[in-house]
Amino acid sequence: MIDQILLVAAAAFVGTSLVGVYRIAAGPTMPDRVIAINVVGSNVVIVIALLAAAIGEPGALDIALVYALLNFLLSIAISKFSVERGGVL
Amino acid sequence: MVPVSAGRLLVPVSESSTLRNTVAYAVEQAFESAGESDRAASIHFVFPLSERYTYGTEPQAADEAQSLLDRVAVWAEEDLGDNADAVEIETALVGTEEYLFSPGDYADVLVRYAEAHSLDRAVFDPEFNPLGTTPLLPPLENEMRRAGLDVEDAPVQRSRRSPLLVQRGTVAQFLALFAASFGFYLVLAGSLATFELVTGAISAGIVAVVLWGVSLTTPLRPGRTVMQFLRLLLYIPYLLWEIAKANLQVAYVVLHPDLPIDPKMVEFDAAVWSPLPITTLANSITLTPGTLTVDVSKRQFMVHSLTESSREGLFGGALERAVRFVFYGRAAARIPSPRERSGEEGEET
Amino acid sequence: MTPTEILVLVLAAGGVFFSLVAAVGLVRMPDLYTRAHSSSKSETLGAVLALAAVAIAFGTQLSTIKAVLLLVFMFLTNPTAAHAITRASAEQGIEPWTTEDDDP
Repeated sequence: MIDQILLVAAAAFVGTSLVGVYRIAAGPTMPDRVIAINVVGSNVVIVIALLAAAIGEPGALDIALVYALLNFLLSIAISKFSVERGGVL
Repeated sequence: MVPVSAGRLLVPVSESSTLRNTVAYAVEQAFESAGESDRAASIHFVFPLSERYTYGTEPQAADEAQSLLDRVAVWAEEDLGDNADAVEIETALVGTEEYLFSPGDYADVLVRYAEAHSLDRAVFDPEFNPLGTTPLLPPLENEMRRAGLDVEDAPVQRSRRSPLLVQRGTVAQFLALFAASFGFYLVLAGSLATFELVTGAISAGIVAVVLWGVSLTTPLRPGRTVMQFLRLLLYIPYLLWEIAKANLQVAYVVLHPDLPIDPKMVEFDAAVWSPLPITTLANSITLTPGTLTVDVSKRQFMVHSLTESSREGLFGGALERAVRFVFYGRAAARIPSPRERSGEEGEET
Repeated sequence: MTPTEILVLVLAAGGVFFSLVAAVGLVRMPDLYTRAHSSSKSETLGAVLALAAVAIAFGTQLSTIKAVLLLVFMFLTNPTAAHAITRASAEQGIEPWTTEDDDP
């Protein structure tokens, strides 16, 4: 029962990510796209975690953790880059 | 080589191993030019002391700074010997009303002092570094040169050129970092087998050695840290409750057919100091009712707010008070809210 | 339904709801600052609720600790990322939308 709940939730998160994809495509400015990518990235992390619980694969949680790190770094790196043009942190 | 009016020196001081020789050099320079200049030679020793130290939390810092200045004045008079009349010695604490954070802040304060006392030359102790681990001197000197002052390093022998990493770290910091990394590694590994213990110890050791002087910039004070942590535990449920409220509000606004928003940028000065509390407050503001921290420079927060009521909540200062409670204890929580401080609804931009 | 199932259902449903709010906000809001509001707040709460559901579904295992770690991490980084992006845009000189401007 719990597995089904988690699977349905994962599907719903994929659905909301698709809405975010619209914003990535539409823009209009780069920060808009970065925010949308950040949201989609968070959703991907959540979907991985939900699937890990649903199909009983705890190893996937490590992947989610790494993906969360990358997602955060992406936002920071892009905002740093766009302000300082190549200056890193 | 020495400009004609160079008899008026600004010498920023802080606790360092080369301070004594810097003072001797500065005195010598001032004395040499005392004869050539038409104005009286004088040396101003200044100690930049950020407001975060003078505002009650660490009262002994101001005393320490004052006693260092007194010591410097005694040294200078010693060096002058019989010629004490030729050079005038002044000492001052500067920056006590401000939150000094970046090299630019320090440069501002020093340049203002120099202008106020018509000093045109600055002599730096090569080890001058009130910020701790971050390298301060080169950018600071550049800023001051841009402001039109002559800037030079005192040519003193550095007693030791210790590697940057080992410079500030204490054993407690090293151990704390090591323990945190090791624990994290073991949680990820999920077992206590010998293999995991050994590889974990090696990785944690590498992390701790490399990031020792970077990640923990202030000395650990176990007692205080534990108190802060306990108060943080009180803060978290409060924050979660605020977040829940904030989200229902945002959900209502977003799903409302008319999209009833009235976004505005507002600015206010927060009464918190030092990086960690400021980060906490900025993140908390972002998470709670319709407000989003856009920029923080020194203590000034630039906040984007979604609705009128969210601005009301922000200037009510409940969050700010809670953050102060976490980091400084109960007494600091009684500082007035931003609205009471400014007497109006903050300035809108 | 056992209490655990009900709890997981409620948390997961809450997570989906707030994630939906974030997505709708992302599409409906007029400018990037207001969009960052929806991405930082609603998305964070959605993530926290969903990951809490995951932690509970795992029961008491090591994975629960990992899920909680992930939760804390999302909780800390999401607002920071939103802050970084809006700060970068503010420094690039992108003006926030106000009610005086035209319709979104």
